[in-house]
Amino acid sequence: MAEALLVKEAGSVTVPASGARPFWRRLRRRRSALVAAVVVALLVLVALAAPLLSGIEGQNPTAYHPDLVDSATGGVPLGSFGGISGDHWLGVEPLTGRDLFARVAYGARVSLGVALGATLLQVVIGVGIGLSAGLGNRFVDQALSRLTDVVVALPVMVIALGALAVVPAGFPRPVLIALIVGLVGWSGISKIVRAQTLALKSLDHVAAARLSGWGPWQIARRELLPALAAPVITYAVLLFPSNIVVEAALSFLGVGIKPPTPSWGQMLSDADTWYQAAPTYLLVPALLLFVTVLALTVLGEGVRTALDPRAESRLRIGTRSKKEAGA
Amino acid sequence: MRQPSVISRRVAAAAVVLVVVGGAAACGPADSKDADGDSGAAGKPHKGGTLTVLNSSPQEDFDPARLYTSGGGNVPSLVFRTLTTRNREDGAAGAKVVPDLATDLGTPSKDATVWTYTLKDGLKYEDGSAITSADIKYGIERSFAAELSGGAPYLRDWLVGGADYEGPYKGGKGLDSIETPDAKTIVFHLVKPEGEFPYLATQTQTTPVPKAKDTGTKYEEHPLSSGPYKVVENEGDGERLVLERNPHWSQATDEERKAYPDRIDVRSGLDSAVINQRLSASQGTDAAAVTTDTNLGPAELAKVAGDKKLSARVGTGHFGYTNYIAFNPKVKPFDDPKVRQAISYAVDRSSVVNAAGGSALAEPATTFLPNQKSFGYTPYDAFPAGRTGDPAKAKELLKEAGYPNGLTVTLTHNNEKNFATSPEIATALQEALKKAGITVKLQGLEDNAYSDTVYNIKSEPGFFLGGWGADWPSGGPFFAPVFDGRQIVKSGYNFNSAQLDDPAVNKEIDEINKLTDLSAAAERWGALDKKVGEQALTVPLFHPVYKRLYGKSVKNVVISDWTGVLDISQVAVK
Amino acid sequence: MSSFLLRRLGGAVFVLLALSIVVYVTFYVAPGDVAQIACGPRCSPVQVAQVREQLHLGDPLYTQYAHFVQGLFAGRDYSTGTGVLHCQAPCLGLSYQSDQQVTQLILAKLPATASLAAGAFVLWMLLGVGTGLLSVWRRGRATERVLTGITLAGMATPVFVIGLLLIIVLVTALQILPFPDYVPLTDDPEQWAWNLLLPWISLALVSAAPYARMTRASMLETLAEDHVRTFRAYGVGERTIIGRHALRGALAPVIALGALDIGSMFGGAVLTESLFGIPGVGRELVDAVKHVDLPVVVGLVLVTGFFVVLANAVADILQAAADRRVVLA
Repeated sequence: MAEALLVKEAGSVTVPASGARPFWRRLRRRRSALVAAVVVALLVLVALAAPLLSGIEGQNPTAYHPDLVDSATGGVPLGSFGGISGDHWLGVEPLTGRDLFARVAYGARVSLGVALGATLLQVVIGVGIGLSAGLGNRFVDQALSRLTDVVVALPVMVIALGALAVVPAGFPRPVLIALIVGLVGWSGISKIVRAQTLALKSLDHVAAARLSGWGPWQIARRELLPALAAPVITYAVLLFPSNIVVEAALSFLGVGIKPPTPSWGQMLSDADTWYQAAPTYLLVPALLLFVTVLALTVLGEGVRTALDPRAESRLRIGTRSKKEAGA
Repeated sequence: MRQPSVISRRVAAAAVVLVVVGGAAACGPADSKDADGDSGAAGKPHKGGTLTVLNSSPQEDFDPARLYTSGGGNVPSLVFRTLTTRNREDGAAGAKVVPDLATDLGTPSKDATVWTYTLKDGLKYEDGSAITSADIKYGIERSFAAELSGGAPYLRDWLVGGADYEGPYKGGKGLDSIETPDAKTIVFHLVKPEGEFPYLATQTQTTPVPKAKDTGTKYEEHPLSSGPYKVVENEGDGERLVLERNPHWSQATDEERKAYPDRIDVRSGLDSAVINQRLSASQGTDAAAVTTDTNLGPAELAKVAGDKKLSARVGTGHFGYTNYIAFNPKVKPFDDPKVRQAISYAVDRSSVVNAAGGSALAEPATTFLPNQKSFGYTPYDAFPAGRTGDPAKAKELLKEAGYPNGLTVTLTHNNEKNFATSPEIATALQEALKKAGITVKLQGLEDNAYSDTVYNIKSEPGFFLGGWGADWPSGGPFFAPVFDGRQIVKSGYNFNSAQLDDPAVNKEIDEINKLTDLSAAAERWGALDKKVGEQALTVPLFHPVYKRLYGKSVKNVVISDWTGVLDISQVAVK
Repeated sequence: MSSFLLRRLGGAVFVLLALSIVVYVTFYVAPGDVAQIACGPRCSPVQVAQVREQLHLGDPLYTQYAHFVQGLFAGRDYSTGTGVLHCQAPCLGLSYQSDQQVTQLILAKLPATASLAAGAFVLWMLLGVGTGLLSVWRRGRATERVLTGITLAGMATPVFVIGLLLIIVLVTALQILPFPDYVPLTDDPEQWAWNLLLPWISLALVSAAPYARMTRASMLETLAEDHVRTFRAYGVGERTIIGRHALRGALAPVIALGALDIGSMFGGAVLTESLFGIPGVGRELVDAVKHVDLPVVVGLVLVTGFFVVLANAVADILQAAADRRVVLA
């Protein structure tokens, strides 16, 4: 992404929002953010309680039910709406007859977990690289900026497939996907941090600190990091849903989470030929993914406005290239 | 073989089986009953019109030296005539081999190590020049060149001096074990008796190629036709292939190809969902369209099944293929026959069949050989697990084997969604074995890594999903590469997964190979399969069934058990 | 400006070379015996060895890479067995899978991707800027809130979810659109557009949101500026202010963003192409990666990388031209 755009969008240098309390007050005042927060909380709860919930339903995500599908005609679920019943709250998968509710509930763990891990990694790498570029000399800055360009231009898919081929099959797949998404998706944060750092460097008190003999690390810790917190948090909150989408996209393309672990993207990819014969199978993960990402985005918007009420319109988020995962 | 290059998300539906049998052309089975019943396929066929072929994989490497086909392939067989070819008839009759360029199936020497063929009279290329036996010899020789790799291994393994021959390009040397005493006669000298040589002679490598016209790797752009059609356009390495009548082909010399349409337009690189949708809509030129590589997937079948008119346009075929669990007895605990037997009893074939697309697309298998007569199919069920498995029996065997509390094993499978060695099948087995106290961990590998791992004795896992298809419909190429001890490959791809080297089995294989009476041979392959099956070196899971749509105005649908797909050379559109 | 361009060019060349090295190394260490794959599973070890030699796969990594770079700048010769095939510079090599020249292979895939990108671009620009304009026009009212909500939803939806939902609604339920079957523009313009409509709409719906937001944000910023207030004081109508002054200010960043997006679209919209089976660059990439077809993967990564880098530079220049405050780095 072009630096210039981000620089503009991340807003000019602002003093960090004035503490936590006004932040919460402002966040609470936004109704949409509240609703989104409730939805997100519910999803997290479902993810955490997946075994409990599917236990209540009396199902598990991997058991086959060959008797619940019509084997002679391609394995369509028997019964209406994809076999929805008291035993199977959201119906069953075609072919296998596995319980859809249990699968999406367990799938929530993967989606949220992978995205969380990836986001944390992106923040750490992005802040590290951005700070180094901003504080380092011209050579360091140039080198890191070019590195960022390379990462931006590299299709995630190629890296994911390459990594999947190299990493031993025993390595836990969700961790691997989180690592991959994290390692290729930090450029946005690093650009913002670099731009902010450059701008902050020229501020009086930072310049004074520099003159009084502080090292770069000390400056970073005492002066810069607090000032960077707001834009970084803002960006990270919005990265989170887009990481969910990237994971789903990778799984959709067949290079993400592997069976029998259910993941929404992988379910969608299994379901996509069934749009005529068993639409429920497709709709369930599609709508869940949609609702999750939407709720997180709305919540992210709320956090952003609450952190920086003045820059309501400044930040552009959810770039298309993320959606295209490697386009 | 070249792997099919379909990568659409819907890979699943298409071209699955090609993975082992290979080749753009080798696939598809057909059982005629469904095909001609009361469908649009009825009616008297006439000459004329354009037949459109909608495919996902391109006709890549359209060079007779490079193609890996079963019986000469479908589209290739329109352009390339071979010494012998498959009988173009429905069902089991279509699994027979018949003469093509040659006057008969060949004259074997007493021990079947020397095979002599005589060419028919009046055979011509598309440029009017005469086809000679020297051209057939040259065609085979060039298939040994590294530049033109891709064909089946048999010529190299069978011909004297084949093992280290490098083709005519390096030093211009020929292969002495192929003699052409005159322009009409060709003699092959083999290293050992091979009663099935006539089957091998159906492969495109026996297509004549005049040395003067050979342009190496560029030959595929315009190969010289000996068949009823010639190439007039070849774009994007077979992505678009247009064939028109070859005026010098004479029906009088060719009893097999009907060649009704005037023109054949092969369009590939299409998404399999698009192909099936276009065939079911059957509008415009698609009314005269067929596919030679795209099956109906389960989801599509579910839709077609509800529509009578549409179901009438579905051709059903059986191609000799078996999907199975492979054991490597060199790896513990699979060295213990009781463990292998326990797993054989524990499998739930009904959920496996469902995962493979349901009972319309897969038939449960208990034999390694496909369930067709030409393979010598002899029904047996060494470890009767019933429809859904017998976990009690499995537990009992495990106890005897010293695992009273169950055991944990790793099942290796392919990550590709191919309804054969794919995650769906693996998870179905995982669930079934759980009931017998066997915990299965899954090791899913990407397609290439999967082949590299399971087909290499150095890395071969103990327990994995495999599949095997027929290079021709007989026990020889189906059974021997998997169970012949002499075919264990130490470096490179090895398909004898059990690494079985049983002198008795080897000896019987040699004995059968000596037979030139193919039906007598078939019977003995069946008996041998039963005998080896009792060792539980594999657990046969299912034989796939192919269902394919064709357009409204397509007539004379012939689907043999050899290829399992409708034969383009028989189709008429008028 | 010219020194900026020079630096940009140098940076681009560096980025592309670095990309090709990353891909080379990744695939060199990845499992999958390319010679065996190219030869076929039933090839004997002897044959595989011959193919390995013919494809120069036995050479050390740096030699292979050197050959590649040489081909890129000077062209390369390949043996056909009976003669020589010259691959002209910039030669990206021959596909292991099909023996086709990679340059030709990519050129053959570009029209489909370009068709997809161009149509979707027009749609999402209209949709995005239109929505942005409308929400400024109706600012402070319910319309604006609704539009903002829709925009957020659009931004939240992955293209394959939108695409699948559209397939269910438009193809299966209402049957107004066909499942896309790409027809080249030169064959039949009407069918071309008709078949691409569904992917265009899907892409436009997910891509328009950032444009709407950016248009709205920039325009609101402009409207708050002093000179606009002056206009108002002089009685200039709201329509003129929005249409003539505010929109103009908003256009530069919007166009810059458009350049970026279209650049990455040329790299192939992997998901959209996979979902709708469009035979473009993105699908080719998935195919090549799965078949460990190194020359094709490297070629595609270079071409797509080139478009991304180019788009970045264009966007930066546009942005700089519009906004003097931004320093070009």
